[in-house]
Amino acid sequence: MTRWFEDITLNEAFPLGDHTFSAEEIIRFATLYDPQYFHTDPELAKHSHFGGLIASGWHTVSVGHRKMVDALFAEEERLRGLGQEPGVSGPSPGVNAMDFKAPVRPGDTVTYTLTVTDKRPSNSIPGWGLLFNQITAVNQRGELVYESHLVGFSKLRDYVMPLRLRLLLAITKVPVLSKLIRRAS
Amino acid sequence: MTNPVTKDRRHFEDLAIGEVIDLGRTTVSKQMIISFAREFDPFPFHLDEEAAKASLLGGLASSGWQTGALSLKMLVDSFLSTIASCGGLGFRDLKWKTPVMVGDTIGGTVTIAELRRSGSHPQWGIVTLDFDVRNQKDKPVLTMRLANLVECRNAEALA
Repeated sequence: MTRWFEDITLNEAFPLGDHTFSAEEIIRFATLYDPQYFHTDPELAKHSHFGGLIASGWHTVSVGHRKMVDALFAEEERLRGLGQEPGVSGPSPGVNAMDFKAPVRPGDTVTYTLTVTDKRPSNSIPGWGLLFNQITAVNQRGELVYESHLVGFSKLRDYVMPLRLRLLLAITKVPVLSKLIRRAS
Repeated sequence: MTNPVTKDRRHFEDLAIGEVIDLGRTTVSKQMIISFAREFDPFPFHLDEEAAKASLLGGLASSGWQTGALSLKMLVDSFLSTIASCGGLGFRDLKWKTPVMVGDTIGGTVTIAELRRSGSHPQWGIVTLDFDVRNQKDKPVLTMRLANLVECRNAEALA
């Protein structure tokens, strides 16, 4: 969420919008990234236990990611509109769990929701915090399509670099000393 | 009922724990990165070289979801399209370890970590696969544990 780490509320459902999957885009994604017959060939897919074409799980997840990015940008716009400086989100270190629950067929509309379930300052990157995000995807019949638990970086607004780190950073700017530090570490 | 698409492929009973699958290699171009990012991950650090240099990634890098999808593509070509796969169940502990930059070549191995019959569906087994994807400098790029359904040749012989 492009709010500052400090302003992010936990366990609040944040709607990300929906997406209707066409057969054309299901086949296009699967041809590039998941070319199994039930994702690429509507005729052969009839022989599978799905009984027809279904989207690759990675496709439905990638669309969910796009929905989240769009929501971040919209939130950024909203905050700027209020005269506030938006927060900064960074790359993600990983995904704890991803469970595909129901297949997505051509014409299905999937609705995505983001909930931040926990947050803490990063141990490895000073000035950044970690967000524990849950994204759920539900189809037009109310069936759960997938549930995921992801980790994301978010910049701290109120971070003040400790004196020790500021000194270390200053030392690395002196060429001879930086060489010594690199050799020692 | 026999599935004509998968009848001649390896089934659940033909797989063994410890089997190592070579993923082959994929070189990631600037065009691939930008094309995926435009559709699914339009952050400036996946779309624009200047913005990418100023970001935590330090240069134009693929979306982590694209790195995962390319790893999956390599698994489909080397393994899933040769067995009676019935689709993925999901994955655990996906870690993006090193960003994939323009021109990087990724490859690596997948190892069969677990095999178990489905309790509720005797016609299926579950294969658990550990990914170790690396770049051309042998640096780890992505690890994850993926679960996939596989048809059993003999549905009655439930262990």
